[in-house]
Amino acid sequence: MSRQQSLRIPVLAVAAALTLVAVYMALMFASSAPDVDGGDVQRIMYLHVASAWVSYVAFAVTFVAGIMYLRTRDLRWDANALSSAELGVLFCTLAITTGPMWAKAVWGVYWRWADLKLLMTLVLWLVFIAYLALRANTPDRRMGASMGAVFSSVGMLCVPLSFAANRIWTQYHPTVIGTSKGGLQVSMGATLGVAVVAFTVLYIFLMLARVGIERARDELEELKQKAGDHLG
Amino acid sequence: MLLKELRVEFRNKQTVNSFIILSVLILAAFRFAFSVVEPPVEDIAGPNLWMSIFFAGMLALSPSWKREVEQGTRDGLRVAPIAPSDVYLGKLLANLVVVFALEAVVVVVVVFLAFFPGTSPDWPALLAVLVLGTVGFVALGNLISAISSNLAQSEVMLPVLLVPLLLFTVVISCVGATARVFSGATVLEVGDELRFLAAFALVYIATGYLSIEYVLEG
Repeated sequence: MSRQQSLRIPVLAVAAALTLVAVYMALMFASSAPDVDGGDVQRIMYLHVASAWVSYVAFAVTFVAGIMYLRTRDLRWDANALSSAELGVLFCTLAITTGPMWAKAVWGVYWRWADLKLLMTLVLWLVFIAYLALRANTPDRRMGASMGAVFSSVGMLCVPLSFAANRIWTQYHPTVIGTSKGGLQVSMGATLGVAVVAFTVLYIFLMLARVGIERARDELEELKQKAGDHLG
Repeated sequence: MLLKELRVEFRNKQTVNSFIILSVLILAAFRFAFSVVEPPVEDIAGPNLWMSIFFAGMLALSPSWKREVEQGTRDGLRVAPIAPSDVYLGKLLANLVVVFALEAVVVVVVVFLAFFPGTSPDWPALLAVLVLGTVGFVALGNLISAISSNLAQSEVMLPVLLVPLLLFTVVISCVGATARVFSGATVLEVGDELRFLAAFALVYIATGYLSIEYVLEG
C-alpha cells in the first residue's frame, strides 16, 4: 500500500465525522430563528456555500497543477489537474442546483439572469465542462495535459470573478462572509465553518481516490508499453 | 508572418467572402426570428450585431491554425527561426484584418439597412466598442483555435471552449455597450464598458503571447 492509499481511510473518517457534526449543528442551530432568512430553507445555505467553496478550491488546484505540469512535464501533476477539475465540476453542480432550490423559496424564482454572481458561476461551470470535453477529445495524453493546462489558466479568470461578483457589483445574491451587514449569527457561522471544513476534507479524500485511479492508469500504460517492447 | 497569413487568407477569396455572406445570413435570420415578437429596434440591434460577428468570426478563426496541422506546416513553424509568440502575433493581426473586414460589412448592414434607415448612432462610440471588443475576441479566439487544432473534432471544440470564456468577459460588455450606443450613448457614457473591454483585450493578448509556446510544442 502506498502512502496515499493508507491516508485514504483516516481522511474519509474525518470527512464523515465532520459532515455529521455539520448536519447536527445545521439541524440544531438554524431552528432557533426559523423566521429569519426563509426559515428551514436557509439550511440549504450550508451545503450550497460549502460546495461552492470546494469547487473554487478544486479549480484553483487544477490551475496550479496545470502550471506545474507545464514547468516540470511530470504527468503526476496532470493527474492532479484532471482529477481536481472533475471534482470541481461535481461540486459546482451541487452549488448551482442547491442555489435555485433556495432561490425559489426566498426570491420566488429559480434563477435571476440579471445577477452577475449566478451568471459567473454558471460560466465557471461551463468553462470546466469545456475543459473536460477538451480532455476527452485529445488523442494523446501529453497533448491533452498541456492543452488543458493552458486552457484552465485562462478559465481560472472566472474563479475570482465568480467569488467576488456580489462584492464588486451590487446584486441580489447575499454576501455572508466578511461583511458586517447581513452577516450570520455566531451559531450559524460556526455551522457554516464546520460544513466548509467537512467538505474540504471530503474533497481531499475524493482527490486521493481519483488521483490513485489516474496513477494506476498511467502505470498500466507504461507496463503495456514495456510488454509491447518486450514482445515486439 | 502577418503577410504570409494575409496572402493565404486572401489568395482564396472564396473563404473570406463566405464568412461575410454567412454573417449577413445570421443577421437576417435573427432579425427575422426577433420580428415575431417585435421589440424596439434599438434593443435588438446590439445583440444581433454581436451574434453575427461572434459566430461568423469563430468560423473564420477556426482554419487559421487547423491548416497548419493539416498541411503539416506546423512543424515548419516550430523549427523556423521565429519565436512562437511572434507566430501568435502574426496570426492575431491577420485574423483581426479578416474579422474587421467582416465587421465593416455587418455594421453597414445593421446601421443603414436592417435596423436604422435614417438615424445613425454615435460613430466614435460604436467604433471604440467594436475595435476593443474584436481585439479581445480575436486575441482569445486565436489562442483557443491553436488549442483546438490539436483536438479531435476541432471545428466543434473551438466554440465549445471559446464561448464560455467569452460569455462573461467580452460578450456581456460588448452587447451592453452596443445596446446603449444604439439608444444614443456617447463614448464617455460607455467608458466603464470600454475600460473593461480594454482590460480583457490586454489580458488575453498577454495570455496568448506567453502560453502559445506550450500549445505549439504540445
